[in-house]
Amino acid sequence: MLTVTDLSVRYGQIEALRGLGLSVTKGSVTVLLGSNGAGKSSTLNAITGLAQPRGRIEFEGVRIDGVAPEDIVRKGIALCPEGRRVFPSLSVAENLHLGGAVHARGEALAARVEAELARFPILRERFHQKAGLLSGGEQQMLAIARALMSAPRLLLLDEPSLGLAPKVVDQVFDLILSLRDQGITILLVEQNAERALEIADRGYVLQSGEMVLSGTGKELAESDLIRQAYLAG
Amino acid sequence: MMDIILQQVLNAISLGGIYALLALGLAVVFSIVGLINFAHGELMTVAGYVLFLGVLFALPLPFAVLLAIGAAALAAVLTERLAFRPMRKADATSLLLTSFAVSAILRVLFQNGISARPKPVPLPSALSGTVNLGPVHLGAVPLASIVVTVLSLVTLNLFLKRTTMGQAMRAAAEDFQVLRLMGIKANRVIAVAFGLSGALAGISAVLWVAQRGSVDPLMGFIPVLKAFVAAVIGGLGSLPGAVAGGFVLGISEVLFQAFLPEAALPFRDAFVLSVVIAILIWRPEGLIPAKTARRS
Repeated sequence: MLTVTDLSVRYGQIEALRGLGLSVTKGSVTVLLGSNGAGKSSTLNAITGLAQPRGRIEFEGVRIDGVAPEDIVRKGIALCPEGRRVFPSLSVAENLHLGGAVHARGEALAARVEAELARFPILRERFHQKAGLLSGGEQQMLAIARALMSAPRLLLLDEPSLGLAPKVVDQVFDLILSLRDQGITILLVEQNAERALEIADRGYVLQSGEMVLSGTGKELAESDLIRQAYLAG
Repeated sequence: MMDIILQQVLNAISLGGIYALLALGLAVVFSIVGLINFAHGELMTVAGYVLFLGVLFALPLPFAVLLAIGAAALAAVLTERLAFRPMRKADATSLLLTSFAVSAILRVLFQNGISARPKPVPLPSALSGTVNLGPVHLGAVPLASIVVTVLSLVTLNLFLKRTTMGQAMRAAAEDFQVLRLMGIKANRVIAVAFGLSGALAGISAVLWVAQRGSVDPLMGFIPVLKAFVAAVIGGLGSLPGAVAGGFVLGISEVLFQAFLPEAALPFRDAFVLSVVIAILIWRPEGLIPAKTARRS
């Protein structure tokens, strides 16, 4: 579904990503692991058009590298960014509305909002509150719901469990599986390697901007590198 | 006596309203692209001259007014397209210098293309008279100006709250990157922000000209300088702040003008600026600070 070949990203003098290759199979959960600054977010930024990459990115057989972010989402890729980044002074309703505004109008848009409220009942309770007043977990749900408003076929999630209580983290991982079961392909960036590999069909490990390891979730969970670096033994 | 006090209060609110509309125009653009547009005054001037031409060619007044406001909006969109968009990736200082350049170019065009001297804009006598509310006689222009200001603020608020583009503009002020991820075109949001800011400058210009009766190439300079002060005391980039700042500044100017002892009148601006300084000491971020005032 998504094929990335020889991808590099530079920010000025800094080379954030060097020659990355990866592929995401339709209907799978693919995990990107790595420590801070390993190039995970740069990869997602390149896919969504926020960063200007060198190399080749193909989505459903069409090249999308160099396409503007506004157009990438129209092709069926949505990003739920790191740190949630909901619009704090806008209401939950307005956040959701903006997430779907260019993809549906009128009743179709209202139906999408309704579908997300059914998926995240807590957002119905908070519907008219400012997003900035929501708890971290609620904001994460809102950020995911907002990304889903574009009805993506590929959903990119950047550290969705970061800074959340263990119980909420469970909810997030359950949600990812249920989204996959509904046919949405997932590319997940995570620091929580153990949990991520449990649900991953395939994983890639980045270190200092280069891919150092790849395999199925199970293979990675058993690899020495992962055990030493991320799973503490 | 009652008449005079009421009239001064009315003048104060009407001047405050004009500053508020101008400061809003500056804030709308600043909140989204981080540009302090010093060419905002020239947008006023554009509207002023279009109004002058409309009156000269004896167009119906409402039509001439709409034409003037539309011209300022169009001019704002054009300056964005021609001058500011190519500089989109540049730093704040370069953007500021670009706006000085746009301002200077437009001013020279007015001076050489039209006239360096003020042109009278005669308005219908209905506007120059007074309105009698029982025993009280009030100027028609300040009254009309307050009505227009209130209508503009209400309309703008509805636009920002109820329409997708309005919501997108508020979102853009907070996190432009994420807004683009939602598929909303950055260029369109920015163009609408400039258009809106131009329309606000146009409305202010019409009110300004209605009170003064003439236009000249420099007419926008002073009011926009004041509006900039208003935007700063309100909290730069904050829309409610711009409105609050505009009213505070306009009201203090008129009240000092009206009620200072005659010997102190030459120092009116010093008194007004003392108020400004006091506000900034009390609230360095402005009366109603912006949530995020960073550039996209």
